[in-house]
Amino acid sequence: MILKALLLRPLLRRPWRFLVTVVGVATGVAAVISTIAASRAAIASFAEGIEEVAGAARLEIASPGGLPETLLAELRPVSGDALVVPVVEETVLLLELGDGVRLLGVDLLLDAEVRPVLSGDRELPDLDATLLGFGALVSRRLAEDLDIAAGDALSVSIGGRPRSVEVAAVFEADGLSAVWERVLIMDVAAAQELLGRVGRLDRIELVPRGSVDLDELRVRTDALLPDGLAASPPGERRRFAEQMLASLRFNLVALSAISLLVAGVLIATTLATSVVQRLFVVSLLRSLGASRARVASVVLLEALGIGIVGGVLGVAGGFVGARLALASVRFTVASVVRGIPASEIRFDPQLAALGLAIAVVTALAAAVLPLMEIMSVPPLQGLRTAPPQRMRTRSRLATVAVLLAMAAAAAALARMPAIDDLPIPALTAALVAMAALLVGSGLLLDTLARLGHAPFARLRGAALQLAAAALSAGRRRAAWAAGSVAVAVALAVAIATMVSSFRATVEGWTTSGMRADLWVRPLAAGTGVWVGRLDPEIVTIAEELFGPETADPFYSQTVAYQGRPVSFAGAAFDVVRFHGSVPFPGRDSAEVFDRAWRERAAVVNEPFATRFGIGEGDTVRFELPGGVLEREVVGVFRDYSRSHGLVVVDRSDFLRFFPDAGPDDMALFLPPESDAGVARERLLEAVRGRFLVEALDNRELRAAVLGAFERTFSITTALYLVTAVVAVVAVLTVLLTLVGERRRELATVRAVGGSRGQVLAMVVSEAGLLGLAAAAAGTVVGIAVGVILVKVVNLQSFGWSLELVLPWSSLVTMAVWVVATCLVAGLPPALVAARMQPAAVLREEG
Amino acid sequence: MGRLILIVAVLAAAVPAAAESTDGWREITSPPELVFPRDHGAHPDTRSEWWYVTGIVADDPGRRFGFQITFFRQGLAAGPPAPGESALRARQVAAAHLAVADIDGARFLHAERLRRSGGGLAGWSEADLDVWLDDWTMQRDPGGVISIRARDAEVGIGLSLELRPEKPLVRQGDAGYSRKGPVAGNASAYLSWTRIAVAGTLEIDGRSRPVDGGAWLDHEWGTSQLGAGVVGWDWFSLRLDDGRDLMVYRLRRDDGSADPFSSGTIVAADGTPTRLERDDVEIEPLEWWTSPSTGARYPTRWRLLVPAHSIDLEIRALLPAAELDGRATTGVVYWEGPVEATGSTRAEGYVELTGYAGSLEGRF
Repeated sequence: MILKALLLRPLLRRPWRFLVTVVGVATGVAAVISTIAASRAAIASFAEGIEEVAGAARLEIASPGGLPETLLAELRPVSGDALVVPVVEETVLLLELGDGVRLLGVDLLLDAEVRPVLSGDRELPDLDATLLGFGALVSRRLAEDLDIAAGDALSVSIGGRPRSVEVAAVFEADGLSAVWERVLIMDVAAAQELLGRVGRLDRIELVPRGSVDLDELRVRTDALLPDGLAASPPGERRRFAEQMLASLRFNLVALSAISLLVAGVLIATTLATSVVQRLFVVSLLRSLGASRARVASVVLLEALGIGIVGGVLGVAGGFVGARLALASVRFTVASVVRGIPASEIRFDPQLAALGLAIAVVTALAAAVLPLMEIMSVPPLQGLRTAPPQRMRTRSRLATVAVLLAMAAAAAALARMPAIDDLPIPALTAALVAMAALLVGSGLLLDTLARLGHAPFARLRGAALQLAAAALSAGRRRAAWAAGSVAVAVALAVAIATMVSSFRATVEGWTTSGMRADLWVRPLAAGTGVWVGRLDPEIVTIAEELFGPETADPFYSQTVAYQGRPVSFAGAAFDVVRFHGSVPFPGRDSAEVFDRAWRERAAVVNEPFATRFGIGEGDTVRFELPGGVLEREVVGVFRDYSRSHGLVVVDRSDFLRFFPDAGPDDMALFLPPESDAGVARERLLEAVRGRFLVEALDNRELRAAVLGAFERTFSITTALYLVTAVVAVVAVLTVLLTLVGERRRELATVRAVGGSRGQVLAMVVSEAGLLGLAAAAAGTVVGIAVGVILVKVVNLQSFGWSLELVLPWSSLVTMAVWVVATCLVAGLPPALVAARMQPAAVLREEG
Repeated sequence: MGRLILIVAVLAAAVPAAAESTDGWREITSPPELVFPRDHGAHPDTRSEWWYVTGIVADDPGRRFGFQITFFRQGLAAGPPAPGESALRARQVAAAHLAVADIDGARFLHAERLRRSGGGLAGWSEADLDVWLDDWTMQRDPGGVISIRARDAEVGIGLSLELRPEKPLVRQGDAGYSRKGPVAGNASAYLSWTRIAVAGTLEIDGRSRPVDGGAWLDHEWGTSQLGAGVVGWDWFSLRLDDGRDLMVYRLRRDDGSADPFSSGTIVAADGTPTRLERDDVEIEPLEWWTSPSTGARYPTRWRLLVPAHSIDLEIRALLPAAELDGRATTGVVYWEGPVEATGSTRAEGYVELTGYAGSLEGRF
C-alpha cells in the first residue's frame, strides 16, 4: 500500500514529474560523462599512445630536431644487451581520409620483436614494396574505412608535398589500442625519404634482450652517447607530453567538476521537490501506522529508480555528447602537442559505471535531506499546513556572519598562489562563493518577504504581498529551490563571463598582433591536427616571388627549459622588425623586434614569463642539441596559444641548432600597394602540382584563429547552455512543488473572497519573485566567480592575462529568461489553483 | 657448399622476382680469380654469401659440444644507391645463426639475428674476413687467426673462440668454382678451411667454460645456385682420424635421387684436394628421427662409401634432435648437427639436411 500510495499513484498521476526528474539526472550525468570521455579520449589516449607505439622498447634516445643516424653504429657495444631500433615518426595528412595519420617508420626486418602489431601469424608483406619501395602497412579498420586493399595507392601530404604510398599489407588491430587504427607503418628508410629526413632519425629505441639490468644498460648507453643525449624510458616522453597537457587536462577536469556540480544541483532540486510534494501522503501514512523505515525505504527506492534510469540515459547521452566534444578537445590537444589524438570515443564500461554511480549516489544523497525533513515531522503535524515561518533575528545575524566569513575565505583563497601550477585555491574560492548562495538563499527570501510587508509594499497589491508571504511560509523549501536556481544561474554567468572575456581578448590580440598580409600553412592544418611542417622550398619560392624581406617563416621545436617542456621557436626578426608581429603590451611590436634583431635577443610569451618568473632584461639559457644558447629577453608578448611557454629567437639562431626541416607556417608581409588576393594566386600558382598548401589573407587568418578559439571553447559553451537549461528546469520543478504544496492555502484565499485573477496573480508573482531573487543572487555571485576564473584561474593555469569583459547582453538575457521561465512555469500551477473548487479542496485537505 | 641460407630463403620467397632473375648481380660462371686476403672478405656484387663455421669442442672434464656460427649476406637490390636514397635502405641484409649442441645433455639451443647492412650495426669488409651483426663478429687477423664472438643472453648461449687453420685453404669444385646446376651460372665460389684448431670459451645456460676442439669453415658466394627439380640437399663434412677431410653434398631431386651435380672433395692430410663426382660416393640412410614439432623425418644414421679412396663409414648423429625450426622468424626449417663416424677410420664432423620439411625448390 505504501508503495502504491507513495510511488505508483504519484507516478501515474503525474508522470511528467518523474520524467523531469529523470531528465534532470540524465542531463547532469551526461555533462559529466561527455566531458570526461572526451578529455580521456583526446588526452589520455595521446599520452598512452606514446608507450603503446614504443612497444617492447624500454629505453629510447631522442632529441628535439632528431638524431643523426650515424648514432646507430655508436650504439653497437650495447647491441648484445638490447635490440637497437631506428624510428622515424611524423604526422602526415592522409588525403583519402581528410585527416592526419601517424606515419611510423620502423625497421620492418626487426619490428616483430618490438611491436606486437607486427608480430603473430601475419602474412609477410611484400618486402619488395616495403623495403625497397614506399609500401605501408595499414590497419584493417583504416583499410575498411577507406575501402582499400593491398596493392592500392594512398596519397599523403608531407609538409605540403604530396606523395604516394602503396598499401603493402593490411594488419589486424583487434584487441590493440586505438592508436594503431590510424597509423601508416613503413620501413624506416622509406619513411626517411618520404619525410625528407634522409640521414636523420627521430629516436632510437632499445629493446632489452632477456633479463638485462635496465639501469646498467642505461648507464652503458649513456656512456656511448654524445653530450646532451641520454637514454630514457618512453614513459619520460609520455610525462613530457602529459606536462604539456597538464593545464588543459586540469581545465577539463574542472569542467567535469562543474558539470558534476550542475548535475548535483539539478538532481537534488528535482528529487527534493518531488519528495516534498508528497509530504502530505507521507504524514498520512505515518499516521496510519507506517514505520519511518518503511516510508524511508520507499522514498529511497524511488530515488534509486530515478538514479538508475537517469544514470543509464545520462551515460548514453554522455557518450553521444563526448563525440561532439571530442572535436573540440582534439583540436586543443593538437595545438599543444604534435601528434594525433584519438578521433573517436570508445565505450568505456568503467566510465559508464562511474556515470551510473554518480547518478545513484547523488539521487540517494539528494533524497536524504528532504527525507530527514519528512521523518522529523510527527505523523499528525505533517497533515497540517505549516504556519508562516519568519527567521529570528538571531538566526539572521548568524547567517549574515557565516556569509561574511565565506566571502572573506573566498577572497583570501582567490589571492593564494597556484599549487603545482594548478589553480586549486582559486577554484575552491569559486566553490565557496557558490556554496554561499545555498547558505544565503533563506536569508534572501526572508528579506524579500519582509519587504513584501513593508508599508510601501501596499502599492504593489495584495497578490504580491501574499506571494511574498507564501515564499516566506515555505521558506525552507523555497530557499532550497532559490539556492539551486541561483547556483545554476551563477555557474552560467561565470562561464559566460569567462568566455566573453576570452573572446574579447583574443579578438583584440588578433587585431593588434596579426599584421601579415598572407599566412601560408600545409593543407588541412586548419583541421587542427598537426600535419607536419611546410617544405623549406616553399619559403624559397615565396622569397623569390615577393622578395626576401617579405617572408617570416616560423620554426619551432619542443625543448626542455629547466626540465620542463617549452616551445623554442625561430622567426625572421629581420622581417618583423619592419612590420611588428605579436603584441607587447604598452610597446610597439616592431620596435621590440628591431631591438631583438640588433641585439640578438629573445622574446618570450606571457605564459613562459609567468611560469618561469622571467621578465625583460633576464637571460634565458637553453641546452640544445649541439650547444648552449643564451639570450637576453627584450620583450614579453601576449599569446593565447602555447600555455606551456614559448621563446622566440631569430631564425638564424634557431637554424644553428636544428636542421632546416621547414617552418611550421609562414607569414608574408607584402610590399605596400600589393593586392593580397593577387599575391595568393601567384603563390598558389607557383607551387601548383608540387605542394598542397593553404594561404589565408589577413581577414581569413583572424577568422581562423577565432574559429580555433570557438572550437577550443565549444565544450565550455555547451556547458553554459546545459547550465542555463538546468537553471530553467530547476525553477520549473521547484515552483510546481511549492504551488502543489499550498493548495489549501490558496483555496482559503479563494474562500475568503479572493478572485481567480488574484489567485492567478499571486501564484505567478510568487514564481516571479523566486526567479528574480535567484537570478539576482546568482548573477552577482556568478560575476564574482567569473572574475576569479578570468583573473586568477586562467592566469594560474595557462599564464594568460585576459581583459575582464562582462557579457552584459548574455547576463540580461539570462536574467530575463530565468524570470520569464519562472513566470511561465508559474502559470500552469496558477491556473490549477485558480480553477480549483475552494470548498472541495478545503474538505479534502481537512 | 650448400649451406643453408635461411635468410636467403625467406627473402627470396618474399621477393620472387629477385630469386628468378640475376638482374644486376654478378654470377659465378667460371673459376674465380682469387686474391687473398681480399677474397676472404665480402663480395657484395653477388647476391648471396656466407661464412659458415661448424665444430666439435670439449671442456676440461671432457663434456662435448657441437657449435655452429654462420654469417649470411643477402642482396635485395643490386647496384649503387639511387640519388637521395637513404643509407638505411635494405639493399643488403645480414643474418647470423648461432647454435650449440649439448651432446651429453642432449640439448640443442640456437639463436638468430637479422639486420640490414646500412646504419653500421651490421656489415662486412671487402678487404678481409670481417663481418658483424650487432655485437656478433667473425674477424680474421693478419696472422690468419679467426676470432668469433657471439652471445645470446635470452637463450643463454655464447661463443668466444679463436680458430687457427691447420691445413691450407681448399678451393672446392673446379679451383673454387662449385657448379650446382645445368646452367653455368648455377654455381658459387666455394672455399673451405677443412681442419681448424679451436680454443676459447663456450657459454651454455649462461655459464662460460673453456673449451677446445676442431672446426670447419666454409666461405661461399654466388648469385643463383640450385637447378630446377632439386628439393634440398644433404651435406657432410668430416675430419677423419687418418688426417684426411671429407666433404660431400648430395643434391636431392624430387624423385629422391641424387642430382648429377652432387659432388664432394677429399682433402689429403697434406691439404691436397681431390674432387669427387656423384657416382664416386654412395650414401645410404639407415635410421630416421621424426621431429615432434614439424613432423619432418630426418635420417640420423648413414652408411657412406667412397670406394676409390677406401672410405667405408657408418655415420651417426650425436644429437638426433638438432632441428632448427625457424618457422616463426625466417620460415625455414632444417637440421644441422654434430656427427661421428666409425668404420674404415674414426671421424667427426657436421651434417646439414634441408628440404625435409618442405621443398626448397625455387627458393635458392
